[in-house]
Amino acid sequence: MASTRLLARLATQRSAAAVRTPVFTRGFASVTDTTARNPAAKVAESIVPDPARKVVPDSETSNVKEPAPEKDSKLKTFHIYRWNPDEPSSKPKMQTYTLDLNKTGPMMLDALIRIKNESDPTLTFRRSCREGICGSCAMNIDGVNTLACLCRIPTDTTKESRIYPLPHMYVVKDLVADMTLFYKQYRSVKPYLQRSTPSPDGREYRQSKEDRKKLDGLYECILCACCSTSCPSYWWNQEEYLGPAVLLQSYRWLADSRDEKKAERQDALNNSMSLYRCHTILNCSRTCPKGLNPALAIAEIKKSMAFT
Amino acid sequence: MASIMRPSLLRQSQTASQRVYSTFARQPSPLTQHLRPAFAPVPSTRIAAFHATQRQAILPALPQKITGTLNEPTVVPDPTPAHGSYHWSFERLVSAGLIPLTVAPFAAGSLNPVMDATLCALLVVHSHIGFEACIIDYFPKRRVPNLYKASMWALRLGTITLGVALYSFETNDIGVTELIAKLWNA
Amino acid sequence: MSSMRVFQLGLRRAAAPAFRGNFAGRMVQRRLANSQSTSASSAEEILVKQRVNRPVSPHLAIYRPQITWYGSMFNRLTGIILSGGLYLFGFAYLAAPTLGWHLESQSLIAAVAGWSTWAKASAKFGLSMPFFYHSLNGVRHLVWDTGKALSNKAVMQSGWAVVGASVAASLYFSFLA
Repeated sequence: MASTRLLARLATQRSAAAVRTPVFTRGFASVTDTTARNPAAKVAESIVPDPARKVVPDSETSNVKEPAPEKDSKLKTFHIYRWNPDEPSSKPKMQTYTLDLNKTGPMMLDALIRIKNESDPTLTFRRSCREGICGSCAMNIDGVNTLACLCRIPTDTTKESRIYPLPHMYVVKDLVADMTLFYKQYRSVKPYLQRSTPSPDGREYRQSKEDRKKLDGLYECILCACCSTSCPSYWWNQEEYLGPAVLLQSYRWLADSRDEKKAERQDALNNSMSLYRCHTILNCSRTCPKGLNPALAIAEIKKSMAFT
Repeated sequence: MASIMRPSLLRQSQTASQRVYSTFARQPSPLTQHLRPAFAPVPSTRIAAFHATQRQAILPALPQKITGTLNEPTVVPDPTPAHGSYHWSFERLVSAGLIPLTVAPFAAGSLNPVMDATLCALLVVHSHIGFEACIIDYFPKRRVPNLYKASMWALRLGTITLGVALYSFETNDIGVTELIAKLWNA
Repeated sequence: MSSMRVFQLGLRRAAAPAFRGNFAGRMVQRRLANSQSTSASSAEEILVKQRVNRPVSPHLAIYRPQITWYGSMFNRLTGIILSGGLYLFGFAYLAAPTLGWHLESQSLIAAVAGWSTWAKASAKFGLSMPFFYHSLNGVRHLVWDTGKALSNKAVMQSGWAVVGASVAASLYFSFLA
């Protein structure tokens, strides 16, 4: 194998020596920000673009049409948030796409996948399971956070759909938000069973049916961050406030009868920022694509910590 | 080979000449891009921008900065129940206490100076806690420590002044509930 | 790659001599962007640089108006209006003797009595609307803090109920009572 690889490399070198314009040899990976190669732009490397820069509205961008429209097509317009990290200082923009709903699957994720497959392969988004269990495709669709795979495309073609990444998150590319802080916060609530004593009979840790029932509505959380990023408190103070999703997870362990570190878990939340930035705004429960109730979990935590 | 594998790419390259993406059509002038951020990283000017421009009303985001790797948890603050659970419980007690104190004087028509004074005291505390929450939310200590401190002290001063004012109003004048009742029927 | 597959590849290449000349040149992509290997620490540096450039996704302006967060926003706004008014009245009352203002109850009542009916009613409405909204919503918050009425349906119903009740109450108290 090594020898064939060597041969291949030799062959490439030979062909490189021949006259070949770079255009034809260009691969998939490329840097499109041509200013980056400009020596004058070296100055710009130290420059920090404003993270709160405005989005170029869809009225000022082009429209990518349905690849092969037919006569009786049901054309629906989608405005999708785009930002390319290869052009670091550029503004995000709203790109318009038109799709024939007759050729598109029923869900928003189908529309996104069809755009990526057929009209614009540069569109970037996370998706995995397409059935609402992985939480990858969480995004803001028509103003509310939800999973694209669980969100039907409204069949009313006169209304235009708008798709943004999760609100007030740093954008990695297009619809992909950076979740690092969210995961670090999740880690900070120690999402695992903490015990210092072995089980009485030396076997598994048991709990009654009633105790197990307390975990219903908590364990189903898939950590898609729809609720956290719908919370205005989390928008303004996400560096310190944990947000609904992480607090729901914290309550999942607080409510677990087998866990023995309840006091420590409560102490970790007992300050003005981590838990008490929740002002019961209730966007979290309203938006949860899994139908859970983070607001109730937070209320239960507050209740259990009251007067203690 | 590429064109065989991804027919959409070929189609795209054919239409690329007709299609104009806005990034190319509307590239911001390099001059403004180079000049503007020269002001950006200084924190104090960011605060000034928060006050002076209508670009974004509340807390324009700073460039992303993450301390530690993904595998390290965020820092857990030390427990301070005085700002946590005690504070929350106290706040609820005050709010709950305000309900009978506001309803009773107007419903019963009886004007008890002690009840009036209690109502005033609870109103002062409730207002103070409310403004404090706004300051913590919108002028976070980690972002704008000086503004946070200044507004907190201004609030404390204001609350004490209000307390003095209400005390003198209660002792020298007819009292808050009485005033409202009389103003309403004036 | 298994040895079996290497063998197959080799066979195929031997069988197709016409293809061979061009094969390597087509398989291997040349990239304009130079690549270089990085250590873990320099990869971290690159990531930090990339993070600095990232924009924040839109939030307040694009989130759909819902009774949940609009109700909460108005709760805070009305609280600021009411408490701010109280603070301003307190400051003015303390400063009144030095500034020569008359904020004693008699003069205030006399001044308001001189207003037209409409001015009185609209002033009452302007004051009672925030008061009733904030108070009724405050009751709602106290109920939530006991862990009750937190389902989506209950929240929406109670939210609109508070809006309706505060409008009705302030209309009643500013025009009829």
